[in-house]
Amino acid sequence: MSLDMTHEDVQAALAAEALGALDGEEAAAIHAHLAACDECRRELARLEEAAAALAWAAPRVPMDAARSARMRARLLARAAADRGADSHTRPPRIDAVPVTPPTPAASRAADVDGEGVIPISRAPSRRGGNAGWLAAAAALLLAIAVGAWAARLKGRYDALGEQYAQVDTERGELLRGIARRDSTLAALSTPGVRVIDMASTQQKAPGGRMFWDPRRAKWIFFAHDLPRLRAGRDYQMWLITADGPISAGTFKPHDDGTAEMEATFQLPPDGLRAVAVTDEPEGGLPKPSTTPIILGTFGESAE
Amino acid sequence: MAVPDALVSAQADRKLVRRMSAGDEAALGELHDRFSTLLHSVVLRIVGDPDDAEEVLEETFWQAWRQAGRYEEGRGGIGTWLVMMARSRAVDRVRSRRRFREERWDELPEPVESGPGIGSAPPSPLDSAHDDEVRRVVARAVATLPPEQRETVELAYFRGLSQSEIAQTTGQPLGTVKTRARLALQKLREALSVLREDAP
Repeated sequence: MSLDMTHEDVQAALAAEALGALDGEEAAAIHAHLAACDECRRELARLEEAAAALAWAAPRVPMDAARSARMRARLLARAAADRGADSHTRPPRIDAVPVTPPTPAASRAADVDGEGVIPISRAPSRRGGNAGWLAAAAALLLAIAVGAWAARLKGRYDALGEQYAQVDTERGELLRGIARRDSTLAALSTPGVRVIDMASTQQKAPGGRMFWDPRRAKWIFFAHDLPRLRAGRDYQMWLITADGPISAGTFKPHDDGTAEMEATFQLPPDGLRAVAVTDEPEGGLPKPSTTPIILGTFGESAE
Repeated sequence: MAVPDALVSAQADRKLVRRMSAGDEAALGELHDRFSTLLHSVVLRIVGDPDDAEEVLEETFWQAWRQAGRYEEGRGGIGTWLVMMARSRAVDRVRSRRRFREERWDELPEPVESGPGIGSAPPSPLDSAHDDEVRRVVARAVATLPPEQRETVELAYFRGLSQSEIAQTTGQPLGTVKTRARLALQKLREALSVLREDAP
């Protein structure tokens, strides 16, 4: 394929370009022509409209609702973080003035208005008169003053930069927290999620609720009124199947007795008999060693 | 000169993009809600895998956010802009996958002759009346294309084949492939011009 294409050659190839089907060499030649040809650019825009309309010819398949909600949440969090990084929301920029040694040359290096400054080069002390010394002294004092001012500004700039970094870190943590919450909400609202209520087996009435999305193998658990753990102990979550209990991980409750936990574990939709929480040594055990604090039989509250 | 705008670049869509370029992330959410089904449908048709489709879609919306300030209103509708970005990313993904696996086009899943092809999308009650109309018009337009032009469009647009690959696959000279692509898009453009008059 020759790289030397006429206007007519380009016109003939514009539909292939609109369909994204041009091969590299020809594409480069056409892009070069397009840069200088209004007529071809307009024609390409029209063909691109027609090509883009082909999207409507694809079978209509909406994205899975939970996927879509999670993606939306991620995009918004990223956009908010990105907006935060834009220059218009950054702290006012203070350019540090270069700190220079107090020499006559510094009076030129420092970017100050020439008004009131007597450049040494314009008044050379040819005769060694007082005027020359005075000018040099003035320049010296000015350079010292500018240097001190620049150092103060630099200090302030650094302090603001640190403050900004701290605020930005906190903001990032908040955004990540919101994204996690959005993701949890999206998971809870997925069609097909099963809910297992867990009631207390003891007097103090702790309770819990498990949300299980079998398609995604996702488990989200909330509990309340859990007794405070003794030192060196953890709560351990169990998925009880026909083959016995499977550990879904350990957790510690908050001070108010509430707890949340998320786990990913593949289990066939009909493979679950019950879920339970036991008090175990820190890190958990392969099999439960105590009576469950709370227990939910699958099928009682699900569906 | 009137340009057929099958995707109807409504004022509301342009406003969304202007808000995005001003840093309003809520507008990105609205753009997502407005276009995710259309973009997901076309991207999934090209990449064939829901995980890949999700990634391509997210990259596309992110690109739209980052480039909102560079969107040229005179160039075409927002839908066209988004579809071109999404399709290009989806095709890149298919091509790199093909290179990676050293696959030939006819070894990819979803061969052209099987499964739902282009023009077979049934309208859904969930679509807005206008989307519904666009879908019907496009389906009708595609259905009236001669089989060889449909095939060319299918191979290029949904399978990501280059014109020389299409020539090789169909056993036709490169010039014929170009002509088929041109005739197909011209016919689509004419068929879609009716939508232009309805565009808000």
